[in-house]
Amino acid sequence: MLEQTVDALRKQDGVDDWLARHIQKTSTQYYVIGPSPESRRTVTSDQVAVVVMNDHPSAKKDEGPMRGEAEVTILPSDLHHLPEKLSRAVFMARLTNNPAYGLPGPSEYPTLDLADSAMQGQPREVAERLIQQLTEALATEKDVRLSSAEVFVEESRIDIQNSRGVSGRQMQTELLFDFVLLASHKKEEMESHIAFTRRRAADLDVSALAHCQAQYARDAVVAGTPKTGTFPVVVSDEALAELLMSSGHSPLVLRSAAQLKYQRMSTWEIEESIFSKEPSGDPFTLYSNALLPFGTRSGSFDKEGLPAQRVPIVENGVLSHFWATQRYAEYLEISPTGSFGNMEIAAGSLPFESLLDGEGPLYHVVAFSAMSPDPLTGDFVGEIRLGYEMWKGRTRPVRGGSISGNLFDVLAAAQFSQETVFLGDYKGPRGMRFARITVAGA
Amino acid sequence: MSWQNLSPELTSAGETLRELVSEMERKAPYAAALLARNGGLQVVVNDREQRVTETQPSQGLVLTVWNGAYFEEAASGDLSREDMFKLARHLVETVDVSTSRQAIDPGPATHAHFVTPCVTDSTTFTPKDKLDLCMELHTKARRLDPRIVNVQVRYSETLESKVFANRTKQLSQNVLRLRLNVAMFVSDGQQLQYDWVSKDGTGGLELIRVSDEELLKLRDSTVALLSAEKVPPGMYEVICAPDVSGVIAHEAFGHGVELDMFLKDRARAEQYLGKPIASPLVDILDDPSYSGGHGFYFFDDEGQLSSPTYIIRRGVFERGLADLFSAHSLRVPRSANGRRESFERKVYARMSNTFFARGDTAVQRMIESVERGVYLKHTSSGMEDPKGWGMQVTSHYGEEIVNGKLTGRLFAPVGITGYVPDILQSVSAVGDDFALSGGTCGKGHKEWVPVSSGGPHLKLKARLG
Repeated sequence: MLEQTVDALRKQDGVDDWLARHIQKTSTQYYVIGPSPESRRTVTSDQVAVVVMNDHPSAKKDEGPMRGEAEVTILPSDLHHLPEKLSRAVFMARLTNNPAYGLPGPSEYPTLDLADSAMQGQPREVAERLIQQLTEALATEKDVRLSSAEVFVEESRIDIQNSRGVSGRQMQTELLFDFVLLASHKKEEMESHIAFTRRRAADLDVSALAHCQAQYARDAVVAGTPKTGTFPVVVSDEALAELLMSSGHSPLVLRSAAQLKYQRMSTWEIEESIFSKEPSGDPFTLYSNALLPFGTRSGSFDKEGLPAQRVPIVENGVLSHFWATQRYAEYLEISPTGSFGNMEIAAGSLPFESLLDGEGPLYHVVAFSAMSPDPLTGDFVGEIRLGYEMWKGRTRPVRGGSISGNLFDVLAAAQFSQETVFLGDYKGPRGMRFARITVAGA
Repeated sequence: MSWQNLSPELTSAGETLRELVSEMERKAPYAAALLARNGGLQVVVNDREQRVTETQPSQGLVLTVWNGAYFEEAASGDLSREDMFKLARHLVETVDVSTSRQAIDPGPATHAHFVTPCVTDSTTFTPKDKLDLCMELHTKARRLDPRIVNVQVRYSETLESKVFANRTKQLSQNVLRLRLNVAMFVSDGQQLQYDWVSKDGTGGLELIRVSDEELLKLRDSTVALLSAEKVPPGMYEVICAPDVSGVIAHEAFGHGVELDMFLKDRARAEQYLGKPIASPLVDILDDPSYSGGHGFYFFDDEGQLSSPTYIIRRGVFERGLADLFSAHSLRVPRSANGRRESFERKVYARMSNTFFARGDTAVQRMIESVERGVYLKHTSSGMEDPKGWGMQVTSHYGEEIVNGKLTGRLFAPVGITGYVPDILQSVSAVGDDFALSGGTCGKGHKEWVPVSSGGPHLKLKARLG
């Protein structure tokens, strides 16, 4: 499909630059309810994502040539009318006027670990084995049972070419493992729900995860409501990754994007502090790391064909680089870095257990219902799905109520754990202690 | 070719579906086939960029067989006749059929093609016309205040085509969804704030007009957000605007009555079937047949024709929302709520247009009845918790009410939490207005489908923070 598409792009009038990404994917999906299968599925898909660029004179006299671009996706059934599809893309690209920009040229791409050979060779067996490991681990857990689980084992092959000579290929795998446990206590029942995305099965210790989630489910049944006030709050593991990374929609990612800077929607400046307050916590250092082995946002090249990099974005609380695709790098006259990769944050100064020290009250949040800080302002509000209140040497589980604040303000006064964790698209401190966060509880 | 007809690829593949079903039913007790295609146009204009492009299309076939205990599926983007039969034969060969369970009812014989009605058909306008529409709105909005640093106008038009067949049914539909969003960004040099106005629905351009008055209101709310404060945490009397009411109906309650959650023992609602759960003033419905709603469709992805479902009537929980597997397993009547994100994903029980029914209290009277409270105007997000029934809804901002009057003091953002039955039982007035807002809804953190939610203004009590 890619060759036919590229051939047609080369022949198409009005295409001044082009980019084509061929994505072939297979997915094996296995769903269970309790011990019984709910569904099994296999899926194959094949498509070429094409971007065409058209250069044309500006309607205004004082402006140079303008560029417009349009995306079209070529599906197998489109192959017999490719010129028609591409002609429509050129028509759309001609309509828009943007300052000229280019595409990346050829590069040497790093060789990265992105695929799990077991998932490539025996996807069904991998899916079944994960469910079996989960079931076996839960057999020893008192008052806890499996509600449901879903496993997706996916393999993709991505080939990329562009009009400037870029040519690359990568094979990658992705595993989604989602499960819900139910714990009962007297007549009450409560759940713990978790979803993990990884590139290889070996990065999930299913037994340990099952035991941890089983304890969370048992604690959720007897949890009380947090107090109302302003308290130190520790956020850890998946909940911390959710707060900081938000599946790529993080304000840390968006504010450091050259695109947002160009669109005047980021107020950040190079060599200036990202905090509005004087930092008083551990130094905050953030990298965009697309080279992280088996990182879910790693890749030898990004969507445009820029090679993977590890780029310092924030060093000791000061913005050092905007991450930039080719277009916005040219607009801001900076070096392109490629798309934002995995979030890597430097470790902190204290052992994790020390973050929980103090008379209290202190809250340790291990799960939010959902936590997505506003991508532009950094303001956040999140319901506590499960946490622990520590006060005068006692620990009690809590749920309900919410924590709120501004991500940049709380990071400025945060302490990070020395221990780091790898959670798919996040590598960094296992926990952070935020000095003062508003808790709305009982 | 008119958008109202199926594309040649779907027409040709659709003619094969009944044969594929027969092929699979030579071994399996029940089989079905679905062709699904999404595609359309997107236009984006902001201060510094313009873009006219195709929305990423998806097209494929899903073959489903019932093996006596559960559904097995094979799906592919390849729609050639030869490959579709190859897929069907391979699926049937690998299925291990058990005959110990009840058979699936294919439903009454139905053959039909459906098309969304529209007054001003957007497809008769060129991409250039749509770009001009966005640029005109951008120019108007951009002039309104010197503190505006950017305005982004986004138009999207999606044509969703489906063809479903089982041994008794051959159904097809073309549903045209439109959405227009104007987002305004302002800065006082220190901080950045934003707000937006959004119009959407299934039908024609008449659904998505943004007036000059709405742009002025957007300017006022966005600029006012620059001086917004944090809400002091606590319990409040709250007036919810329709889109906040809708997110309560959808996130807080709707997800917990999707019947696959009952099968998984994940829904506390199961204990309340036939019992009071909300104030007697409250009716909540899910209605995929609600004309113009962003979650509208004629039949679901399992061939069930759309009709309204009363979930709560006069405060009593009547019934949940079913896909075929949950209805079959729980032995309850089906509703048209079996939906999938695309051919690449499984069907789940999902909402469509979910809303509180209209009441009879004037909105102004509701505000006047609040001594100290908050008017929640605009939702930004929400998340379900069907087992714990903890509610999380985030309002982009709210305005203080003191002694029955709006004070102009804004709080942003505002988190609304609480125990769902407590919140539903606290509803003390239901407005005489009604509006739906469209968006996409996930199940957990994935499986996105178009929906809408809304209703009238509501007066209730909730914990804000």
